[in-house]
Amino acid sequence: MSTTTTGRGRTADTLSQREREEELLARCETLVAEALRAGADEAEAFATHAQKSAATFEKGDLKLAHVDEGSTIGLRVFRQNRLGFAATNQFDAAALAAAARNAVALASASPADPANRLPDARPIVELPSLVHPGIARLGIDEAVDLGHTLLTRAQKFDTRISVDGANASTSRVSQAIHTSRGVRAVESDAMVSLSISGMALEGADVGGFHYGSDAIRDPVLLESALARLADDFARTSVGNLAAQRAPTSYQGLVLFSPDAVLDLFVAPVLAASSAIAVQRGRSALGKRLGERIGAPGLSIHDRPGDAELAGAASFDREGQPARLFALVEDGWLRGWMYNGYAAAVENRASTGHARGGARGAPGLGAHAVCVAGGTGGSREDLLAALGRGLLVQRFSGSVDPASGDFSGVAKSSRWVEGGRETGPVRETLLSGNAYQLLARIVALGNASERVDGSARSPWALVDGLTVTAG
Amino acid sequence: MLGIMNRAAPDPTDLLQDALNAAPGGFVELRWHKKQTRGISVEKGRVDNATASEHSGVGVRVLEQGTFGFASTDRLEKGAVVRAIGEARAAARASSRARRERVPDFPAVTLARGRFDAPGVDATLARPIESALEMLLEVERGARAGSSRVTSASTAYAEIYEEKGIVTSDGAKVWTRAIRPEFRVIAIAAKAGEMQRGAEAVGVTGGWECLFESKSPAQLAEKAAKQAVYLLDAGYPEGGRTQVLLSPALVGLLTHEAVGHTVEADFVASGSCAAGRLGTRVASDLVTLCDSGASEYHDGAGGTLAVDDEGVATQRTTVIENGFLRSYLHDRESAARSGVAPTGNARAWEYDDEPLIRMRNTYIAPGTSKLDEMIAGTDDGYLLDGASNGQADANGEFMFGTREAYRIVRGKKGPLLRGVNISGSAFDVLQTVDAVGSEFRWDLGSGHCGKGQPAKVDAGGPWLRCEVVLGGRKA
Repeated sequence: MSTTTTGRGRTADTLSQREREEELLARCETLVAEALRAGADEAEAFATHAQKSAATFEKGDLKLAHVDEGSTIGLRVFRQNRLGFAATNQFDAAALAAAARNAVALASASPADPANRLPDARPIVELPSLVHPGIARLGIDEAVDLGHTLLTRAQKFDTRISVDGANASTSRVSQAIHTSRGVRAVESDAMVSLSISGMALEGADVGGFHYGSDAIRDPVLLESALARLADDFARTSVGNLAAQRAPTSYQGLVLFSPDAVLDLFVAPVLAASSAIAVQRGRSALGKRLGERIGAPGLSIHDRPGDAELAGAASFDREGQPARLFALVEDGWLRGWMYNGYAAAVENRASTGHARGGARGAPGLGAHAVCVAGGTGGSREDLLAALGRGLLVQRFSGSVDPASGDFSGVAKSSRWVEGGRETGPVRETLLSGNAYQLLARIVALGNASERVDGSARSPWALVDGLTVTAG
Repeated sequence: MLGIMNRAAPDPTDLLQDALNAAPGGFVELRWHKKQTRGISVEKGRVDNATASEHSGVGVRVLEQGTFGFASTDRLEKGAVVRAIGEARAAARASSRARRERVPDFPAVTLARGRFDAPGVDATLARPIESALEMLLEVERGARAGSSRVTSASTAYAEIYEEKGIVTSDGAKVWTRAIRPEFRVIAIAAKAGEMQRGAEAVGVTGGWECLFESKSPAQLAEKAAKQAVYLLDAGYPEGGRTQVLLSPALVGLLTHEAVGHTVEADFVASGSCAAGRLGTRVASDLVTLCDSGASEYHDGAGGTLAVDDEGVATQRTTVIENGFLRSYLHDRESAARSGVAPTGNARAWEYDDEPLIRMRNTYIAPGTSKLDEMIAGTDDGYLLDGASNGQADANGEFMFGTREAYRIVRGKKGPLLRGVNISGSAFDVLQTVDAVGSEFRWDLGSGHCGKGQPAKVDAGGPWLRCEVVLGGRKA
């Protein structure tokens, strides 16, 4: 393995994973030391290195082959409990010194906050390696092949398919953290990401746009995941042809796909479960900890140990252990998510929910959200329970996290009569209140399905929606 | 005063030209792109973010064996750029087997040369970040002090400073600088366990004075706080197809989401609803819709740029002229395939991104109607204001959010109602336009457009009356 390193610390050839991790940690140590010399009381450096090969397809043909490699380092400092942050992708001594000076200067200008302090080091239970050699070895040739296979499989599914864009990328990412409070951690990841978007065309009929994506770490699963992604995309796109206006507007039951459940109901719960949102008085669930907020059977967990999901990780953006966390269990609101800052406000430990990359100060969020399956049976069982009404595969709209109010368009949606899909509908709007509707989940499907490689959810039948036919 | 970054790099184009000369053969496009951001956010008197960051390097795109290859380096050094050219060529060669239809060589076009500076760069870079921090803290306090119902408020300021040097093997050699500041304020109001949010945001290409030319930060905060409080007592509009008066911000969303994306030539080639419709009527004859690299009518439009990332000087592109579809938005490849001149719409977010077809400043040209007359002339409908998010499909079906709604009955505007999402099919909606206002405003300069990569854009227009589907609470 060649390990040629330039005088500026950037590799001109491939480093081993271990060497890469050691290099990142060394850069973090250097920058933390630089920050302390520049006047910081505490300093945290978080660095990432990514190697990526991507093939982009447009209009059913290869558009671009993209190879890329780069590093970024972010520095958070506290000076007299004042916050400053700087990031750079330049690693020469002058650039790192400038980053340290900038972070300290920003801290000097900021007001003090007693919760501005770094968390102490805590033991991290390392996940089994997220780097499978069978994925890590893939480069631009394989990205082109995967993208081409994805594209042609979707096109062969039905001649009416028009692929607007398809992308296959392979990535190897390492991230390291070092702080003046003794946090020191490093982890690497290798993944294939696939995405496809487009529609079906038949004469003058342009079907509704659809897209899908996945992220895979296990080479054994790659072929089947690609096939499923292509087929699901094509099937849904063709199904969007000849869309009609919904037969009627109504208030009542709607059947949601796992994707729509996550966007419409889970995302606002996550926003409202941020301890910072609660502390600042902008969480709609802020006074409901320990109360039942959802229907029996509704359980939402963060599972950073689920290696089949993109957000799997051993530690969070602050080097704190990431672990299984219950947000909602059987409808009961169980806990808030804390990062280091929110934890310091309440003088308690972080729950390992600092999120973000090297280019910004740590935020707060979940790693790998999983909604548990229920007892509602299969998709067909849920269709039967719906009887007559709307099935929504994607929701295109906005949910106000403060109020929970939402309205938006039901995409790739189908009308259902007698428990059977009768055809696609268009220009159909949905509205309601996400927090109120959590309690009106009538049934959750048995299977919790992977969504875009980043989360899991079952289908859900929900009552109380307002459906407006266009 | 803080010396936070803002080290203006020397003109990089000679170095890029040297690197290009050292690696001759075929089409090569080199883009040095230095991006520096400064950002501060404040919530409830606490500074959540005080950031200075830099992301700089050279993106290399080549056309080799009939296909594109892209690579990048984070170093502005001749040797590193030459190596990246080699990597991009290798990527193109490795992938050419999968290219069904070869990209023809670009036809000769006039490419930009020289230096182009957007307004406001030096003055904004010289402004100490402390002044932004003080303003944010004061305005955030003010937003909370306006009403006991306001339980939380936040303010944020961000600025993106960009330098680009673009050199191509067929003659472009430009160095551009631009700065884009933006300000955002959010207020949360609560009553009896219910919460509502008010938000205001502005963003420009230009300086601080331009950013707050129409409204001061305090005025924006007051408006956001009032909006949050008033919405607590507001009812819901009824759903259904209805006539609406769209504010300039919403006209901006309509032009951007519902029309702009469907006329991007890459979407057209994939079969968007605009495909094959050049020269046909797609809107009422009151509608003239353009996309421009310049800030038309008013200074400061957020998507202003003099030269795109392929080295093509931007221009005003008339997409719809008096109701007839006249042009798509092109990069060099799509323009060559269509036998037209490129329109200067190729844009890349950062150095390690390849250029895509993106909008700049998209708008509907002003008409002759006064807002009061438009309200008085509406028998039954809604006045909608305040842009939220928006999305559109290639088939022209769009959705976007509004923050405020007012019922209009027999020419009279009623009380505030909660904002809703509206939907429709782009060209169907534009066919229903029966009144276009005379006052023009850019109103979408904050935030980003997403299309795989973010892009700073702007959009706007006058008040406009049309028919859409409203996602109200009562079906």
